[in-house]
Amino acid sequence: MTTNRLFRIAAVPMVALVLGACDRAPSVPFAPYGEGYAARPDFAKVEHDFPLTPADLEKITPKNIAKLTQEEVDQIYARLPAGPIPDGAFDGTLFFPKGVSGDRRLAEIVGGLGGLVVNLKGFKLELIGKTLWKGKVFYRDERVLRNRIEDLSILKPIIDDPDSLEKIVVDGRDAWLLFPAKLYCGQSLLDSRRESIIIDYAFTDEIEGYKERPDFLAGRRGLRVRDEIRMVRPGFYLGRAYADRAFLLNFTLYNAAIAERDGPAFLKTGQAPEDCWSSTSRVLTAAK
Amino acid sequence: MMKRFVVVAVALAGTASVMAVLVSGQDIVPAPKPKPKPAAVAPAVPLAPASGQAYFDDAGFHRIAESEQLSAEERAGREIWYKATAGNDRFHTYVFQQRVGVLVDWFRVLRSDQREGRFKTWGIMNDPDCCTPGAPNCPARSLEETYGLDYCAGDDELLKYVGRSGYRDPACDFKDAPVAANDPHGPKDQRQSACDLKFGTSTGALGFRKFPNPRFDPERWKALNGGKLGTWEGYNRKLSEDKARSDRDLSHLMDGSVEPPFLIGTTCGSCHIAFDPLNPPKDPTHPKWENLKGAIGNQYLRISQLLVSGMPVNSLEWQVFTHARPGTSDTSAIPTDQVDNPGSMNAIINTHQRPTFADEEILKWRKTNACAKDASPDKCWCEPGREGKCWAKSLAKERVHHILKGGEDSIGALEAIQRVYFNIGSCSEQCWLNHLTDLRQVDPAMRNFGQTPFDIGQCRRDCSNFRAIEDRLPEILAFLSSGETNATDLHVARAAERKAKSASAKYEYDDLVADLDREFGKGAVAQGRKVFAENCARCHSSLPESEAGPFASRDFRAIDAKTGLRADWMGNDASTPVSEVGTFRCRALHSNHMAGHIWQEYGSETLRARKPDPNVKESADGGRGYYRNISLLSVWAHAPFMHNNAMGPEICGGTGPGVTDFYRPSYVDASGNLLPAAQQPACWPYDPSVEGRFKLYKESMRQLLNPDKRIPKITKLDEDIILPVGPRLWDGKEEKELFGFTLVVPKGATAGTLGNLQHKQFVNDLILAKLHPDQLEKKRGKAQADEMKQVLAEILAEPSKIVETVGKRKELLAAYSSCTAVVENDGHTFGESLSEADKNALIAFLATL
Repeated sequence: MTTNRLFRIAAVPMVALVLGACDRAPSVPFAPYGEGYAARPDFAKVEHDFPLTPADLEKITPKNIAKLTQEEVDQIYARLPAGPIPDGAFDGTLFFPKGVSGDRRLAEIVGGLGGLVVNLKGFKLELIGKTLWKGKVFYRDERVLRNRIEDLSILKPIIDDPDSLEKIVVDGRDAWLLFPAKLYCGQSLLDSRRESIIIDYAFTDEIEGYKERPDFLAGRRGLRVRDEIRMVRPGFYLGRAYADRAFLLNFTLYNAAIAERDGPAFLKTGQAPEDCWSSTSRVLTAAK
Repeated sequence: MMKRFVVVAVALAGTASVMAVLVSGQDIVPAPKPKPKPAAVAPAVPLAPASGQAYFDDAGFHRIAESEQLSAEERAGREIWYKATAGNDRFHTYVFQQRVGVLVDWFRVLRSDQREGRFKTWGIMNDPDCCTPGAPNCPARSLEETYGLDYCAGDDELLKYVGRSGYRDPACDFKDAPVAANDPHGPKDQRQSACDLKFGTSTGALGFRKFPNPRFDPERWKALNGGKLGTWEGYNRKLSEDKARSDRDLSHLMDGSVEPPFLIGTTCGSCHIAFDPLNPPKDPTHPKWENLKGAIGNQYLRISQLLVSGMPVNSLEWQVFTHARPGTSDTSAIPTDQVDNPGSMNAIINTHQRPTFADEEILKWRKTNACAKDASPDKCWCEPGREGKCWAKSLAKERVHHILKGGEDSIGALEAIQRVYFNIGSCSEQCWLNHLTDLRQVDPAMRNFGQTPFDIGQCRRDCSNFRAIEDRLPEILAFLSSGETNATDLHVARAAERKAKSASAKYEYDDLVADLDREFGKGAVAQGRKVFAENCARCHSSLPESEAGPFASRDFRAIDAKTGLRADWMGNDASTPVSEVGTFRCRALHSNHMAGHIWQEYGSETLRARKPDPNVKESADGGRGYYRNISLLSVWAHAPFMHNNAMGPEICGGTGPGVTDFYRPSYVDASGNLLPAAQQPACWPYDPSVEGRFKLYKESMRQLLNPDKRIPKITKLDEDIILPVGPRLWDGKEEKELFGFTLVVPKGATAGTLGNLQHKQFVNDLILAKLHPDQLEKKRGKAQADEMKQVLAEILAEPSKIVETVGKRKELLAAYSSCTAVVENDGHTFGESLSEADKNALIAFLATL
């Protein structure tokens, strides 16, 4: 296998991860924080002292959230409920963590090493991810999810029979449905105080329609991808993608129809259905 | 570029997750509140049901409280100790598995068809009020009815709610003692609902409780388990026998979408309930209530193995954490301070006599009735919906106990009990998981790179289970000070044993002395008292000569008229620098109570002001580096010795049908290499009988007093650890590493060395070596910086050889180790210069305490 080809394939996992995931940054309150881990405020305190109102959540969009530092994204995530397990097709966008300097966090750490995973010899994984991965389709009743891929070119070396792949049309555009995952309520790897909706690829091979190549890649013998999402507001979820339990990137999921249908009521009441355990502590997204 | 990736691969994934074990490992003492206590006696009246009859109504449990003449407060505390999980069922079912990444195979531990082997494998106590479905007199006829577990008291109701919501917890019917007259939050009873104590019902193993899982789907369960409800074998079965598959040792236990029929919680009793030395069971598999004591400490329990029971044996978690000896637990393993330090669940004895220490600086929350209007909730907080139920945080001097092996729990006995509930998983999601270290987070700027302090005030506000326990801490303390925790004298045990054979038999203290003198030499007990007074009492007496007169003329068995207990607790509880004691020092270096660490709020300012032991080469600041000495009360019943149970014979694993033998030989030669099997001293089988305990005591004492004859013990990995680093690709025929490598830590490596490796500092220094060598040189010195540059070059050249690359550099490895001690039965050489006769005399005397 040539090095170049290897790198091309190396990019595939990153896509699989989002499979797992501009405007100005949203003007919502954040707790003050410093640079080191010890200077990051406890999420319980952030939520208590800086609750997010429905009006705050309305300011957040799939685009502007990517302008925030990772700490700010984390503080938003920790103040969100899991919300209902979604149903239907959602558009997806991914973004990598930014450090306090505004650079990608990994680049801040290993800058001199060339950006490593995020930028392997010019191989722009973020760009590739954004190009290929278009979102997810949730099958709520079956507690299953599949990812929407619009360009199979990079994946082709590891697909046995492209013609056999299931397809979907969203907004008039064709997409292949790959990388199935199980959906359930489970533990957040960032904020323990309430459950998140988990998108788990570990047993992807047990899901109907599984195609060993390429779906293998996201499963327990591949990258061990596990995503988790919480609801910003109806139709809009914020997600985190992990590989083998190591955090890699953020992503958003957006369904305009649901947002338009259920958004106005949420703005008034701050109430939304909840499928997951929301702890004995308060959920502070209620309207004020 | 591939080489560079390796650095990140190591950084992001190379060290795998860790974990481990919670639970106590501590003794707990109350604020002194002396009152007369009944002397420790074996129960005179048989309490067991008649032959063939079974209790399924909790009657046996309550009958013991009656026989012990416990007060209402003590009974309430006892019931909480035995039954309350305070909501940790979610921790042991979801959090530990998904967030911490460690799998517990509850079916393997609790399956009813292996009830007979449960004690032998795990050391856990079978509940007398439970039975195996289908057994004579068992209300459940098949395992299908109980989802494979025992049938226990209360299950007629509980089983109706598996897969349904609406279960009313038996704790809702809990009877509290009246509110204490001096309670600032009284006289009105404002305690949190007892429902939040969360009892559930027994699993069949004492201290392990079950709760119906409303998310359970019977059809999905049957599909996973071969069409059956009564087994979990599809859930915990290995996925493959194919050695070519990287997932061959995994199971569906790691599938978070599977909801088991029960959530499993643990109580304080899970580690502390064990056989009564005064009245041991004839058959350890079938104890009766009168054979059990709640706070004796389960010295047979293999809690470490239990808590990683769902992990493959070649995993890092299994190999690093399952070496803890029976009866010990690494209580800082889940907070992951990366100090490998299992400690014993020692007996809680004669707590009224335990020493306290005056004028210690304590910053903590104290009960009050009101807060100033402008008070910050971080300083003063009143519970909404209550009248004057407030708490204020302040710094004050107090008299307190020192608890935990180094006295780290030091802000009060009530708070020490409170912290145990977090140690066993309560309020984990609401209050403390976010403060723990994530072993995969190697970026120091990111959350969970290191610990942050748990916030008691936040937990009180956000976790109702916390309040349910906090409001009843005085009851628990009363139980831990009750007659159930009285010292257990050898002569009383022997008397009970003889009486069981002949009702007219007698055996008094003088008979014991006579027997000991016969065995250890004429006048041995009297001579042993003299030896003890001259050599041991300065540490192992709670009554200093300045207060109670010279040791030389002291009656160490004198009774305190106020309490009815022996006046001397036989230990001064003072902190001794670890280098002075010389025992395995890793436990003394555990860091959880330091400023900025997880249990900061449970450590006093006085504790943290202790000076570092100048003879310890590892980091030992922040109050670390000390051990308390232990009480020698009932020491005949609690061998092997030292905080890690390493002083004395090794205890075997179990054998028999359906039993797993967890014994791992640890005797090494002078070079630190494991002795060949034929040269390993034989392990000792479990024997909780009176004479079994006494025999183990004698041999442990001989090893203690003869350091030159001890064979050193170092626990080694007994399997290779296999760590795949980086993803794999399936080409249709075989798995291929896409990039990264497979890391192998070889069998025979020292388990503690791995557990103590500060890999985050190592990885960050590797990056500094590449990017900012000047900074590394400033931080670590030129020699180490140069070494790290060389290490990096070698790792990049051959990433799969990382273990050899680092392992061959002993000094470098030590620089990144939180504890470099390896010999587990070292130290405490006091008494080695005594004559053989005096050593025997000392052994004889201590058996009378």
